[in-house]
Amino acid sequence: MTALLTLAVLATLLGGTLFAVALDRAYLPLLALFTRQRVETEAPDRLNRDLAPAWYLALAAIGIAVVPFAPDLALIDSPVGIVIWGSCEALIVLTVFLHGWSPNAPFPLIGAYRYAAIGLPVMLPSMFVLIAAALPAESLSLVAIVDSQREVWNVIRQPLGLPLFMVVALAMTLRGPMDYADAADIATGTSAEDSGAGRAVWQIARLAMLVSVSAIAATVFLGGPLGPVLPGPVWLWLKTGALMALTVWIGNRVARTTPSRMLTILWVVLLPLSFLHLLISGLIAL
Amino acid sequence: MAMTRLARWAARSPAPVFAAIGPGRQAETERLLARPGLRRAATPRDAAILLVAGDLPGDTAEALSHVHDQLPHPRATLRWQADAPDAIAARIETAWRDICAGERDEDDHLPDEPPNAWKGIGPHGQGGKGMMGGTPYGRPMAMTGTDIRDGLRLDRYTARFGPFLPMLPPGLVLQVTLQGDVICDLDVQAPPLAQAADADAPDLCAARMLRLLGLDRAAHRVMHGQSARALWLRGAVPKRIGRIDGTSARDRLIAWLAGDTVSVAPPDLPALLHGAEWAEAMLILASLPPSALIRAARGVEAA
Repeated sequence: MTALLTLAVLATLLGGTLFAVALDRAYLPLLALFTRQRVETEAPDRLNRDLAPAWYLALAAIGIAVVPFAPDLALIDSPVGIVIWGSCEALIVLTVFLHGWSPNAPFPLIGAYRYAAIGLPVMLPSMFVLIAAALPAESLSLVAIVDSQREVWNVIRQPLGLPLFMVVALAMTLRGPMDYADAADIATGTSAEDSGAGRAVWQIARLAMLVSVSAIAATVFLGGPLGPVLPGPVWLWLKTGALMALTVWIGNRVARTTPSRMLTILWVVLLPLSFLHLLISGLIAL
Repeated sequence: MAMTRLARWAARSPAPVFAAIGPGRQAETERLLARPGLRRAATPRDAAILLVAGDLPGDTAEALSHVHDQLPHPRATLRWQADAPDAIAARIETAWRDICAGERDEDDHLPDEPPNAWKGIGPHGQGGKGMMGGTPYGRPMAMTGTDIRDGLRLDRYTARFGPFLPMLPPGLVLQVTLQGDVICDLDVQAPPLAQAADADAPDLCAARMLRLLGLDRAAHRVMHGQSARALWLRGAVPKRIGRIDGTSARDRLIAWLAGDTVSVAPPDLPALLHGAEWAEAMLILASLPPSALIRAARGVEAA
């Protein structure tokens, strides 16, 4: 059973990543990158340069491993599943920082520090939103959170949750309005010195993370594998796919403001809003 | 040489082009790079073709060689003089196919060595005091200095930016001292290259700002005469930045999106950018029509 589940998780990650590449219309450009030379910058941190995309991919894999594929069935059925995902989020910030740190060049480093500055205030609302979703389940386990949505999905019970989590999803996948690491004003920031296969692998890891973060959102807010007629995994795939498409759409359509302005919005608007969301969800759960 | 399957797929992807834009060629080049089949690379590392549009002044030759050597192998340089846009687009696509087939490549123009002799102190040439400062290989390292905002002593990093950075006007070279993101010193070392009036076209000006806002697709749509179809467009540009005779960067973006040409008096660039954050500074520069920018930087040089 474990072997089968491992296969299902890996297949979902792979299939989802291929779908994400299609959503970004990036098949041919990504393939072309593999024919290009990987240039080495002067005195890079080689270990972290090579590890950063590997961490990013690994975090995407860990994230999706805690997602229940059927009610009561997850590869890692942890009593603290949501905390495992929370630690993945925190480590993504480190990973992106290392990616910008390692080439030993100004624009990547500026992107790295920017992302670290944005990452912290993104992380806090994310934790409040996830804890709020755990309240009706009275458990930090994702299986229990799915179970608590049998009557009504969290997206209806806690209407602020999914919109707030979409901000997190955009930041975790370096996309559109929250892509402060690889922004255009710093020549794609942490990726500015990437070429060839190194650039391709980082982009693929970023797309794999889109699958994981969408699967978590589908589990926490849309009831994950719950649904009539079709089997559990199919419902999970459908919901995950829909959230991936929504994230890509928002990423392509919403403008990115300056980092200092976004910091103000995050600390002054989104953080109190997520507090309020937690308070209301807690009162309802009582 | 027979192409592998991967190379054949690669050849079908849009040709990644990094453009070094000469005097009078900005509008033409920007429109060229918006064509299907070509892709505007944001960094030379992501490009295979270096497009040199027009006659670059002699003092940019070294910078052009640096950009050239930053392109990963295999690579090609194409000089665009009098060709029609269709002809140069065809030449680029042919060059991209040859590159993918492994039939075309260029060697470095400059020797792969540090620009200056080793001048540091210590085992890594770090020099300076402790772990900070110094000029190893002639590159000044960050050293703490008084912050212009709150008096904290933070690292100051000085570097030259330009003349071919895609987010700066072509030809502009700025020596900038940054503390983190904040520009605490700025010197215009070379003015932008002169551009014809067509570089002030509303769609091109709007597209430059949209790209900085992360809206590449909207920029594409605007350049093809469609509406931007983007959310939070105006709100994303901070209200107070780039104020010149009563109009702000945001006002100028709104005017350009409405299809109006904007003209502003030549601003005092160092005063406008001093104290701004890097992201704001790039938005401010993109919010100035090229004609105003060129006059502004000329004024600084003359003074």
